[in-house]
Amino acid sequence: MSRIDTVNAVPAHGLQVIQATDVSSGKHEMRADVVVIGSGAGGAVAAYELARKGLDVLILEAGPYVPSSQFSEDFNESLERLYEDFGGQTNKEGDLLLLQGRCVGGSTVVNGCVSFRTPDFILQEWGRDFGLTNLSPEAMQPWFERVEKHLSIEDNAEHEIAGHSRLVRDGARKLGWSVKPFKRNIRDCALTGHCLSGCKTDRKQSMLVTYLPWAMAHGARLHADTRVTRILENGGRAVGVEAEVIGHDGTKVADIRVDANTVVLAAGAVQSPLLMQKSGLGNSSGQVGKNFACHPSMYVAAKYPHEVFPWRGALLGVYVDEFLRPEKGGFVLEAGGLGAVEMTMLNEPGTGKPFMKFMEEARYKSGIVTLIHDHNVGEIRWEDGRKVVDYQVSDKDFPSMLAALKASAQIHFAAGATEVYVPSVEKLVIRQESEIDAVLAKLENKPQRLRLVSYHPQGTLRMGSDPARSVVAPHGESHDVKGLYVTDASLLPTSIIVNPQVTVYALASYISEEILSRL
Amino acid sequence: MTQNNDIPPALLGGLEPLSRRSLLRLAAVSGVALTAGCARVFGRRDAPEALTYVNLTEDEVRVVTQFTRAVLPTSRHGLPDCINEIPTIKNVDIMVGNMDPTQRQLLALGLWVYEYRPMASFKFKRFSKLNEEKAHAYVVAMQEGAFFERGLTTTLKALVTLNYWRDSRTWSALDYWGPVTERWGVRRLGNAPLPQA
Repeated sequence: MSRIDTVNAVPAHGLQVIQATDVSSGKHEMRADVVVIGSGAGGAVAAYELARKGLDVLILEAGPYVPSSQFSEDFNESLERLYEDFGGQTNKEGDLLLLQGRCVGGSTVVNGCVSFRTPDFILQEWGRDFGLTNLSPEAMQPWFERVEKHLSIEDNAEHEIAGHSRLVRDGARKLGWSVKPFKRNIRDCALTGHCLSGCKTDRKQSMLVTYLPWAMAHGARLHADTRVTRILENGGRAVGVEAEVIGHDGTKVADIRVDANTVVLAAGAVQSPLLMQKSGLGNSSGQVGKNFACHPSMYVAAKYPHEVFPWRGALLGVYVDEFLRPEKGGFVLEAGGLGAVEMTMLNEPGTGKPFMKFMEEARYKSGIVTLIHDHNVGEIRWEDGRKVVDYQVSDKDFPSMLAALKASAQIHFAAGATEVYVPSVEKLVIRQESEIDAVLAKLENKPQRLRLVSYHPQGTLRMGSDPARSVVAPHGESHDVKGLYVTDASLLPTSIIVNPQVTVYALASYISEEILSRL
Repeated sequence: MTQNNDIPPALLGGLEPLSRRSLLRLAAVSGVALTAGCARVFGRRDAPEALTYVNLTEDEVRVVTQFTRAVLPTSRHGLPDCINEIPTIKNVDIMVGNMDPTQRQLLALGLWVYEYRPMASFKFKRFSKLNEEKAHAYVVAMQEGAFFERGLTTTLKALVTLNYWRDSRTWSALDYWGPVTERWGVRRLGNAPLPQA
């Protein structure tokens, strides 16, 4: 094992990334102590925590390197440059849009900065049902504290609660429901409302401006445009990876082989299981790719009698946690803004004149994002050479979806809304509170009924103590392949209801410590 | 404009060969319609009269144009016209050029279905030949129709509305502020300092 003790200065801006344009054609061989697959929440944190202890770390990122100075604040362009499948990743039925970052920094670059710790009752459930007693609330607390300090995670100040979020707060308070300001990983938010297109001024404390430059200051190397195609194994031990460097025009530039005794898999809960499947590794349990959950979300928009301007101010201000626990419904409601273009995607106000009226009145709209504690009923797999996201909302979860819709409508009406738009494929508008139940009764749990978006894929390389029921051991290592660790949201054995970035950061920190203790 | 029509000959005789699976996959194009290529639009401020279509067939241009007019009666609302001022169809054309072959074929199939799907109440007329009122009614009927009709209509709606409203000339009517950082002169903070041990 090599040891790197030099610590370089963190550059003021940007990263020294090797990109496809820097690589000559042919085959290249490299060596590292640790190869990290993916530069998002799980990969960047692991890279830093391992590099700062002197290990030679190589990070391979499939997506491009886009410096924040090049972010456009144009959501359409951002989808193409920064998101998986140009923002077009869907389930097989096409009624669930699955948004994941695909760039250096991964989804942390394009998320809404919302920072929740894993709820205590979820960690306790993992201990009880999956043998993860090492992840108790008490055991995880120092890891949460560490990442919260590193990423400037604080409660939203009052000026960060925009008009659209204040409406939701007012409505929830009138109903006597618990509502709180979000914690966010941001420094001195500029209130542009363009979080989903990346933060142009580096205020969002994404991996792009935190753990990645820190890892590189400790000697880590980062290659973008480099998609790992296979994890290499010898005698039950990971020994490296094979990868392809793909130019921005889609053509292959070079093949790479990396020899490393430790492989950290952090490509995200869709790509990580696919890579395991393609590598033919680590699946003695038959669980690789199974147990997919994603917090299927809806955007429940409403019209108010006064201007709201949902694109003005911080994107996400407050959340309603009244129904967080499963016995109270198992869902969270998040007050969220959005831009004019996004508004065309999330509701069905009608065709022609009613659609035009809906858009003309865009500045009168506010919205609530619903997140539910969905069961792990989905699967990620290769089929006919293509990625398949096999997920439909379970009948067990549909009542939670309806309850979240109803509560959202109640908040809107309590706050003074005059119309609530049901996020369905057909036109469904609720005009007064007394109509809520009757309108929602028209919804069925069938494909192409609801307009669903997921930002939180998880669960596809489940962590647990029983090798027959899980893929990864409680300390993060594959049950089957020594030296292969997972540090992304694939680990989560159940959905966690809330936004998972802090959970991933904390788990990656913890697992890095476990890796170091085993070297 | 290309004269090619990629519809498999077997389909020209009727709709029977359309399997449910094909239509499921067609619905899956919606994700692509939402984004892929919408974002790869070049020259989106071109004058529409100067535009040529290199990826859509003549028939497809007619269907998409009719659909766009039915969904977006912009001129009646004081907005830039969705065909003559904003290059909505050209934006769609460029998006189609960036689709992979399977997605392209599925979209072609969907547009063909939209054009030819027999509906007794429309006297089996082609969609692109319907008058404005009938075209609007047809889209409404498809939106409220069977599973694949709803999915297809939702896909096409996303396709045209995004490719209209992505043009900054449409934003002032909504009071949408668009990109603001450079206009406001917001300072970049850069990388965060290394944590202290």
